[in-house]
Amino acid sequence: MRPDGITNTEMSHDVTVKPDGGRAGARSCAAAAERSARRSRGRRMKTMPASWKLLLLPTLLLMTSCGRTDTKTLDPTQTPPASVPPLADLKREVVLKSENVTENIELRQLVRLFLECSLTADQNKLPNMTAFWSRDGQEIPDSRLTVALEKEQYGIQRLFNITSEEKVGTYSCVFENKVRADFVLATPRFREKRDKPVVSYVHDFVVLPCKMEGSENESLTWLWFKGNETHKERISAQPDRFEIRSQNLTSRLKLINLTFADAGFYYCAAVYAVGSTMNPIKLKVITFWEPLKPFIAILIAVVLLVVVIFLCEKQQSKKKVTEGNEENVDQNNIKLQEEEKGAEEGSSMRHRKV
Amino acid sequence: MPPAAATNLAHKPPDGGWGWAVVVAAFISIGFSYAFPKSLTIYFKEIQEYFSVSYSEIAWLSSVMLASMYAGGPVSSILVNRYGSRPVVMLGGLMVSAAMVLSSFGTTIIHLYLCVGVIGGFGLAFNLQPALTIIGTYFQAKRPLANGLAMTGSPVFLSILAPLNQFLFDSYGWRGSFLILGSIVLNCCVAGALMRPVHKQVASKPSSPLPKFNKAVDEGAAADASMQTADSDPEERRHEGKGPSQASKLADFSLFKHRGFLIYLTGNVVMFFGFFAPVVFLAPYAKHQGIDEYSAAFLLTIFALVDMFIRPFTGFLGNTRRIRPKIQYFFSFAVSYNGICHLLFPLASGYSGLVVYAVFFGVGFGMVSALLFEVLMDLVGAPRFSSALGLVTIIECGPVLLGPPMLGALVDTFGEYKYLYVTCGVLMLAPGLFFFIMHYFNYKKLKEEQKPEAAVETRRPGETVELKTNDEASK
Repeated sequence: MRPDGITNTEMSHDVTVKPDGGRAGARSCAAAAERSARRSRGRRMKTMPASWKLLLLPTLLLMTSCGRTDTKTLDPTQTPPASVPPLADLKREVVLKSENVTENIELRQLVRLFLECSLTADQNKLPNMTAFWSRDGQEIPDSRLTVALEKEQYGIQRLFNITSEEKVGTYSCVFENKVRADFVLATPRFREKRDKPVVSYVHDFVVLPCKMEGSENESLTWLWFKGNETHKERISAQPDRFEIRSQNLTSRLKLINLTFADAGFYYCAAVYAVGSTMNPIKLKVITFWEPLKPFIAILIAVVLLVVVIFLCEKQQSKKKVTEGNEENVDQNNIKLQEEEKGAEEGSSMRHRKV
Repeated sequence: MPPAAATNLAHKPPDGGWGWAVVVAAFISIGFSYAFPKSLTIYFKEIQEYFSVSYSEIAWLSSVMLASMYAGGPVSSILVNRYGSRPVVMLGGLMVSAAMVLSSFGTTIIHLYLCVGVIGGFGLAFNLQPALTIIGTYFQAKRPLANGLAMTGSPVFLSILAPLNQFLFDSYGWRGSFLILGSIVLNCCVAGALMRPVHKQVASKPSSPLPKFNKAVDEGAAADASMQTADSDPEERRHEGKGPSQASKLADFSLFKHRGFLIYLTGNVVMFFGFFAPVVFLAPYAKHQGIDEYSAAFLLTIFALVDMFIRPFTGFLGNTRRIRPKIQYFFSFAVSYNGICHLLFPLASGYSGLVVYAVFFGVGFGMVSALLFEVLMDLVGAPRFSSALGLVTIIECGPVLLGPPMLGALVDTFGEYKYLYVTCGVLMLAPGLFFFIMHYFNYKKLKEEQKPEAAVETRRPGETVELKTNDEASK
């Protein structure tokens, strides 16, 4: 029958859409949810009476595939179902003495997190010590244990399955003497943070880069947003305005034909299975008149200086010329006098001769 | 004791007065020439993103600019020989300004290569050569000091331009900054305006390079004949007979027969391979040792500060009575000191070792820079200095451009920086020792060449007396 046929294909679709590896888990779940929601809406319009049944089945399947109940992560003894692919293993150990310790853990993928806290015994050397695990400040139920002293230490360990973005948080082991160790789980942070705005010009284009640290063959998903702290809008590539070029660890947003409206904050988000990190970049758009003002000011200053220097020089050389003229005049006078003398002598000689 | 090289100029260098304004002008021109290309590197990252080019392509911009600056040397010296310093400097200033303004509208990276690289580089060459040349015409007795002060322009301008460029970049992006830099660089024209040709100082006296024996005749008559001490450059005198033609000769290839010039050139070519590389690699080496970025940058600041103060001090030392006649030895010492500094550097450890090295290297770098052109002037004399400088810059182009990349390849192959510093040390120490030995012989030969001429001179006054008495008798 037609409705069942459709349901069957729906089922098969859903099965293939199951999380195919820890990394793509969150993304494909979201996509699957979107797709099936669209399909369900479409079907609702076509076959009204059977709509409930058709809606129920895919939704149930999606729930079982996407949403794993919290109890699984809190129960280390129960093995995960076979359909879930193997997660990477990550182990962290902390040795405590008398002060609280904070350990930052950078997560790039879904992991099985094995945490161990060892408290060094103080002078009292109590035979037993109670401790519990907490998550984001709240004690995890059924995690309180009594630990016996072993080789001068009280040891407590627990396995956490970090299988989705919701599981990411701060996990702590707390001992009854209030000494604790906090394991802060987070997605990788951006190393280069640019606090000054990128400046560009109207009708020009600008390239905003984002670079994440990581290994060479790691391939990240990048998303870009525009907005502010509270409200962010996703940017999709539009041929005459935005161009997004992402490649492994870097992503570049190119804004073409800028206008004043394009100014503001842009966020690039590196998306991991365990969450995403955002990096804000501020864009400032100005006209060419802005730098033109100091340019003209300095130009005028330079021209004035050059003119002043040349004028001073002319004045000085005029002075010298007048001095030189006076000297020449004096010399001429002397020469004239000498000539006159010579002429007189000559004439007297001539007279004598004559 | 052989005196300092004579200027063989027909006029008496003022050694003061307007000369100090010319030193300020040269300070500005030299400052822009050396510091401008280095300070542009701040814009490279954004330009690289904007034009979507790789890092090596943007680094080419620096290389093209430097290459044009050195290639423009001979052109610049020809122009200075013909027109004097002032027009060339003003033209240079206008060229760099136009280059920066044009490039601020650039649409491709090639556009930038041509504007900033080629035209800008040439413009800076037109600033450097005349600035150095005009000091030689204004100063004789205080020339080392004047040279030292003028060369201080380079570190001072770098210290000013680097933060200024950063500020401009943060406020206006790279296009606006290039535009504003175009106007800032016009101050070279102001420097050019200050470079008054020195003949104007000597008011109405004839100024032609008369041969030496004529001068001896005039000695009694004209009181303002050049205060020529014995020439430490007898080859100069032999060419003096050609007088005016020598000065107006466009490219003076006869310099290649000049002993002192050849010594200078040979030593410098080897030295320049290893001269700039330690500066370039100081910060990367510090980071390699695990030191954070800011402390590594601070090393360069220390280096620049030490450099800034050592240059005028070296000029002053070079001017003292004891060192001036043997200034070539002082230069040889400076070069060798650099070499020893680099050789001992790998022994330094930790940040304090790096700081000590930065201080010592700053001293060495400053000494060599301050004396670099003074010793050339000392060897060839001021009239031929312009041509000599042109030849030197175009030949030094090779080592300066090839040095850092070659040594960088050394670092890449061995993975360690100490080989780079050992190589640089050898590349500086060898020329230093070469200079010591060669100049010892050169000074000896100059002394020998001066002895018979001194005898000739003592004879001359007697001859003139005979001539005069003959004249009077004939009357």
